[in-house]
Amino acid sequence: MLNVSNLLEQIKQNPYREITVYAPHTGVVTFENIKPGDEVHGPEGQWKEKPGTKLATLTRERNPKPIYAFEKGVIDKVHTEYENAFVESGCPLVTIRHHLTREEVESIILKQALFLFRAPERAKYYFTPEVAAKLRASDFGSVVIHDGQELFIMSRMKRELPLYYMGPEGVIYATYFKPNDNVDTDAPLIGVCPQEELPNIKEVIMRVQTEWQEK
Amino acid sequence: METATSLKDHRVLVGNRGEIAIRIMQACRKLGTAFTAIFTPEDQESAHVSFARKYGGDHGLYKVASYHDANELMAVADVAGCTAVHPGYGFFAEDFRFARRVTKRDRKMIFIGPSWKIIRELGDKINTKRLARSLGVPTVPGSDRPIYDEMEAENIAEDVFDFQLQQGVAHPLVLVKASAGGGGMGIEEVDDIDQFRSVYRRIRNYAARQFKDEGVLIEQRITDFNHLEVQVVSDRSGKNPVHFGTRNCSIQSTGRQKRLEVAPGFDPSVIDYSFDSKKVLQDIVQYSLTMAREVGYDNVGTWEWIVTRKGEPFLMEVNTRIQVENGVSASIARIKGRDQVDLLEEQIRTGLGEPLGYSQEDISFDGVALEYRLIAESPENNFTPWVGTIDRLRWKEHPWLSVHTQVPKSAYIIPTEFDPNLALAIVWAPNLEELKKRGLEFLDELVLYGHNNAGDSMQNNIAFLKEKTSSILKF
Repeated sequence: MLNVSNLLEQIKQNPYREITVYAPHTGVVTFENIKPGDEVHGPEGQWKEKPGTKLATLTRERNPKPIYAFEKGVIDKVHTEYENAFVESGCPLVTIRHHLTREEVESIILKQALFLFRAPERAKYYFTPEVAAKLRASDFGSVVIHDGQELFIMSRMKRELPLYYMGPEGVIYATYFKPNDNVDTDAPLIGVCPQEELPNIKEVIMRVQTEWQEK
Repeated sequence: METATSLKDHRVLVGNRGEIAIRIMQACRKLGTAFTAIFTPEDQESAHVSFARKYGGDHGLYKVASYHDANELMAVADVAGCTAVHPGYGFFAEDFRFARRVTKRDRKMIFIGPSWKIIRELGDKINTKRLARSLGVPTVPGSDRPIYDEMEAENIAEDVFDFQLQQGVAHPLVLVKASAGGGGMGIEEVDDIDQFRSVYRRIRNYAARQFKDEGVLIEQRITDFNHLEVQVVSDRSGKNPVHFGTRNCSIQSTGRQKRLEVAPGFDPSVIDYSFDSKKVLQDIVQYSLTMAREVGYDNVGTWEWIVTRKGEPFLMEVNTRIQVENGVSASIARIKGRDQVDLLEEQIRTGLGEPLGYSQEDISFDGVALEYRLIAESPENNFTPWVGTIDRLRWKEHPWLSVHTQVPKSAYIIPTEFDPNLALAIVWAPNLEELKKRGLEFLDELVLYGHNNAGDSMQNNIAFLKEKTSSILKF
């Protein structure tokens, strides 16, 4: 049985994550009036429709692209040396010290509690059309899968191969990949929870909800 | 338009990756033209990156988010001061909107390829078919536009089946192709109309995932054919297209992707064909040039043909770009008796506005050549790509051999984002027998090994290429 208290204590010892905001593409960067120590917030609203704090603007082909903080935190470093300069894709712009949220802590703990089915190779992954349709139509945590089921389409170099699930029967409780994004070898694709374990998982979630203090 | 008048005044943005990026940069260097290369994080170990670092000088190399992002290419071109864009093959090579944007934007540049109107006209497989038919050029029966409706698709498939039965074809077959696809991807055949719907749905879903376009084409599947090509080159006048001969690209993977190309397309001097192969080669060259003249073709392009065992040629499509296998044609071509022909050099030179400077009479051919595509894949397992690390790729130098590769001398992890092509090897010989001998000699001497995460040895297509070498140019 998972020792949630221990895990929570471990996380509490270092409850931060350093987030570097990179230039998503090339362009000329101009920073907002931000400095180390400033607090920033991530997207807000019911559907995260309100963007986070604006950090910079990246202008390319006369299209200004605002760069927002995508998590709440405190600015640690601003790469002002790039002010008004043309930067390449992937250039670091701002570093944010982020205090873990309940959801993130839940995710960390769930990754220990669930059975993780991992990517056998670096590739793009898609649910098969049948499973994707079931997931769309069903309630969260109710699609049951079983060992040997054709669950994914693995796509690399435009060649597609079926990928069969191997693991205990259970419900798909967490999905860790996005269609069209590459997933590295051994990165988790889904988290599966045997149906009889569902009450325990809900208990874990409750513990995090009550015990983790967000800042 | 920029006022640059000499090749030395230009800077070419190399809008591609891998071996073609290296060949474009090499051609630029020969012409004395500056270049700017790009790369994505997955390609940071590629030899095209180290080549650009070594020879590109200031503004020689930029990291971008994607090769598919036109804004990235334009932004880099502006900051580097490029006057032209070479798209290579794949990516934007046949995208008329991109070509139009390059030439119409405020800071105009030259698109090194045919003009955007020609790409639009010939890049559309359906339009090409219509143009060909209007000029009396034979084409494959089938749909004349992308189909998005299942019922309509089924009706066309039924018509194509019926047509073949009327023609006396014993086992009619229909090809279902992703309209936006290419390079042999997204194609399946159907031999039973009852299976059509499930194949149609599979291709439609595949096309939506890979190409973001659900359109499919439905054509008669011609079996027992050779795949030939005609290499056309023209300058910006569009008035005097010339050909650089034919190629035979019939040796392909089960997914119909080319693996071994030979120039010329047939060799009647040593092989007996059941038809007049010399006439077929002449016919497809003339048909191709007729179409090129009709549209005012103004750069490098390839006319792709199916030739049946009866010697009937059918135009498949026109590739309005340089092709992977351009080097095999260059290898046997002589311009005014001069060897070392480089079609990329010709493409860049004429693309930047220089006149061709020679006519068809100045082009001659000498010997035969083949190109091996060395690929990390498993031919015995349906040519499934192999993913892992290349530990060593080495070959013995010969005067009759040229090898193009992005694989560096150090260990190289094959990026899964792109095709698994590792290298192209072009072999020249005075005759077919000698060509086969040299080809096998190269493959025997080749050192290629690697490993994957599981510790398994790498898989490659060397044995497949060896086996196929004996049958090149045989129908």
